[in-house]
This record gives sequence, structure tokens and C-alpha cells, in this order.
Amino acid sequence: MRMKLGILVGVVFACFAVPIAGHHSWTAEYDAKKPVTVKGVVTKIEWTNPHTHFYVDSTDENGKVTNWNFEMASTPALERSGFSRKTLPIGTQVTVSGFGGRAVLERAIVTSFKGSDGKEFFVPKLGN
Amino acid sequence: MARSSLSRSLETEEGEGRVKRILVVAAITVVGLSAPFVARPHAQDLPRRLGGENGPRKVDAVNKPAPKLADGTVDLSGVWSGGGDAPIRRLLKQGELDSLLLPWAKQKMASVKEADDPYFFCMPGGPLRITGGFAWRFVQHPTVNATHIFMLQEGNAHTYRQIFMDGRKHPDDPSPTWYGHSIGRWDGNTLVIDTVGLNDRFWLDTAGTPHTEQLHMVERWTRTDYATLRRDVTIDDPGAFTKPFTVTYTAKLGTPDSEILEYICIENNQWGDRNSSNPTGGK
Repeated sequence: MRMKLGILVGVVFACFAVPIAGHHSWTAEYDAKKPVTVKGVVTKIEWTNPHTHFYVDSTDENGKVTNWNFEMASTPALERSGFSRKTLPIGTQVTVSGFGGRAVLERAIVTSFKGSDGKEFFVPKLGN
Repeated sequence: MARSSLSRSLETEEGEGRVKRILVVAAITVVGLSAPFVARPHAQDLPRRLGGENGPRKVDAVNKPAPKLADGTVDLSGVWSGGGDAPIRRLLKQGELDSLLLPWAKQKMASVKEADDPYFFCMPGGPLRITGGFAWRFVQHPTVNATHIFMLQEGNAHTYRQIFMDGRKHPDDPSPTWYGHSIGRWDGNTLVIDTVGLNDRFWLDTAGTPHTEQLHMVERWTRTDYATLRRDVTIDDPGAFTKPFTVTYTAKLGTPDSEILEYICIENNQWGDRNSSNPTGGK
């Protein structure tokens, strides 16, 4: 199972490595060399275009809270994949995987997220 | 996940204010959402998604001919995706674009950065890019002896393009616009659209292939089978290219349940704000 997930994640990363036509390609703003995994609580959802964003408060071992800005695809792309603005309610505990921003690490793009029940959701590629 | 996380939040939250906030959000959500939204499954019921499609799901290959309207013209209705977003260079032979570009245009193209594409700042993409990653429709109006055909694009901001089918000519000196002045006619089963009066403020394609206000574009749209639209585009711009050339795109039909959805690009465009972690605030 673990291996299967590893393969899935690998495929997701491969998808992201390909330049995608659409609103904009993600590599101009995000760095493929900065994979991030962030655990925290959803503080805000922006069910908006050209892209959706959600924000997560993550607390480090010293108690310092960082608010992360995570970007996902457009609302049409997410809706066609079965997501809605209710998929990640405020207060949800999540573990988010993605890539950090080139200028600001805490502004990251999402590849997948996982709820506290461990179920993982892969996010449609950014392109719209 | 949504339901379990939310109920867990309600159970474990200590602050009353937090619970209140969640209840308010829940109330707003219930009131604000349309019926189809409410009917959506909870996240835990959703299949895991790998990659994902931005546009509508495509119909499976259907071996049947293009449908016709009552007046005998080809019915172009349906939700389409693709058909005009690819870099022109990729559609030509190797080195061909370089031989076509005038020196200034070649120089300009070499200097543009992808990040400068006006489209990323929510400006229109022009007639070629009205198709692409976003869902779009042809609307023939009326459906018998159409006087107008519209292209409706999900992307940008509820964009439309208007094609006059009533036999009128181009104006003598049209003021340049993002989508220009388009007149159409049927050549057998092919819709021919002739466009002039375009401005030079959009990029022809995602690679920033330059053009000028002299651009004259002739598109030939052919529904080669039920699920496929072929688009041959002749680009004639003596201001940017040494001679006219033709590129071919393909659009694919979405499944019958496909719709164009709302997408307002300027709503929350954080492009260009990359030095700020939370341009709109994360709380």
C-alpha cells in the first residue's frame, strides 16, 4: 500500500513536471526543488478564480504559527473533479503536500492533501 | 473528510467563538449554495483524483457524422475544449517560424518572458486563444439561417466572440479590438471566419508569438466527425511575418452533461504578487 502510494505520488509529481497550457504554468511562481509538507488547520478558503486558495495555520515545535497560502486550480477544474468549497471547511486539520513559492516559501502550490483520517486527495493540476 | 473533520472540530473546539464561527460558515454555506452544490458528495465519498482534467470530460470516440441543423448547415453546438492554445512554433516544421518572423518580431519573441503574458493578468487572449484549456461553446443564432454565431468562453471572464453571418462586409477602417471584426460564411460543411481589426495587445499564443494590427486571420472550422472539430487558421500579418502561413488545431467535444462554468479571472488573481505571502490575507 505504502509503495502504491509512493508510485501515485511519483506520477503526480511527473504530471506537474510537464508544462501545462492554461491560465499560467505553476513553475514561474513555485519551485519544484522545494517540496513542502505542512500540517495544520484550515483558516480560510478562497473559492475563487483564476485559482482557488486555502490558508493553513501551522504551528512549529516552538509554538510559532505560520499561515500558509496554498494555491489550487480554478473552480471549474476542481468542480469537474468533484471538489467544492465544502471539501475543506475552516477548522479542518490537514496535511498538505506541494511545492514552495520561489520568492516566499509559505506561498505554495498543492499537489495533494490529507485529512486527519488519513485519506489523501490529489488536486487537479494547475493549468486553468 | 469534510464531514468528519467538521464534526471533530465542533467536538474538540474549546472556544465558543470558534464554534459560532463554524456555525455561521455552515449557515452561509447552506443558504448560499445552489441545489446542485448541496447535492455534491462529501469529500470522503469522492474518488481519489490523480492529476485531473481542467476542461470537460471528452466523449468517447464516436463513429458517426457531424449533425446538421434544419437549414442543412452543420450543427456546432455542444461544449468543446481545445482548439487554439498551443504555441504556433510547435505546430510548424522545425525552424519554420523563425523563417516567417520579420527581424523585429523575432527579436521581440526572443525577449518575452512567459510571466509577462497579458493573459496572466486576466486580459483577453484574442480570437485564437478563446479556445484552449477552458470549455467553450459555439452558438448559432437563430438555428435556421443564422445571422450570428457566437463563441462563448468559460475562461477570462465570460468572454464571447461575435461572428456576423448575414453577409455584411468588414468596415473600411475598424478600430482595433481584442477580438476584432469577424464575418463568417459556409463553404460546404466548413464554417469560414474572416477576422480583421485586431489590436496588438494580446499574445497570439502562449509563447508570445508577436503580431500587429495588420493581422488578418481566416479560420476554417470543420466538424470532421461527431466528436472532433478541426480548425485550420491562416495567419496573414505583413507587419510581423514574411508571408501567410496556416496552422491546424483540434477541438474535442465534451460529454453531453458538460457545461461551461463560471470563471471570473480578475476575482482573485494573485499573479505578479509573488513577493507577498498572503495578498488577500489568510485569516
